[in-house]
Amino acid sequence: MQPAPASPIATFAIRAAILAGVWWMLTLGDPSSWAFGVIVITLAAGLSVSLFPPSVHRLRPVGFARFLAYFLGHSVIAGVDVAKRLLTPSLPLKPGLISLPLRLPEGGPCWLLANALSLMPGTLSVRVVNGRLTVHCLDTSDSIEEDIREAEVQVARAFGITLEQAGGDG
Amino acid sequence: MVDGLIIAIQLVLLVSGCVFFALGSLGLFRFPDTLTRIHALTKADNLGLGFIVLALLPLAPSFAAGFKTLLIWVVALAASATSAHLVARAVGGSTSDSSGKENDNG
Repeated sequence: MQPAPASPIATFAIRAAILAGVWWMLTLGDPSSWAFGVIVITLAAGLSVSLFPPSVHRLRPVGFARFLAYFLGHSVIAGVDVAKRLLTPSLPLKPGLISLPLRLPEGGPCWLLANALSLMPGTLSVRVVNGRLTVHCLDTSDSIEEDIREAEVQVARAFGITLEQAGGDG
Repeated sequence: MVDGLIIAIQLVLLVSGCVFFALGSLGLFRFPDTLTRIHALTKADNLGLGFIVLALLPLAPSFAAGFKTLLIWVVALAASATSAHLVARAVGGSTSDSSGKENDNG
């Protein structure tokens, strides 16, 4: 039922286009840099395809844009939350580890969720092993698990994945 | 009038950016252990850098320069999330409540 991964040539073309954009930013659009740029972009895109072959999970533009908006909003909340705790004289912390099974497939989606969680309020990804995510929380009395589930749904949407119900309890 | 407003907004963004950076560093002293300190550093610095990048955007001489400034933030975010995760993984193994069946080589 899974869609097939994109062909390596298409992936190469897409990544080369993105890298060309990055090159344009890095060189501030200097036209004389492109002769060297084309070589670097080709090598980098080739290396990227051989290190990270095309996956069945591809980002969807609309879902990813929504994920970005969600992520930006929450990273502001995260910074303010940490600042508030820091400036409170009693230092309200209740640190602890929470571990829960992920419904996302391994690879890109799990990686994106783990990294995004590290920048979101109150959570820090410690490890992802066998589809099980362990996060460190600043305050275990917060509704951390609901936040993670919501982030998981957002990541799933960014990749156009439908989540199945989580098997077993947390 | 509009110029004055933009400068005022830039000033506010720059100052709050610096405040968040300072708070991130304060967290290094106030928070009790490695993992909570990483929380403070990654989150406060991420926001501080974001504010400073936003404040500098109107000063960018070209579109490419503006995107380059944004790129700095994106790359710093990726680096900060990745290094936070690596430090946490290295530290977390000893204090975790996990079953210990995994075998991290990191």
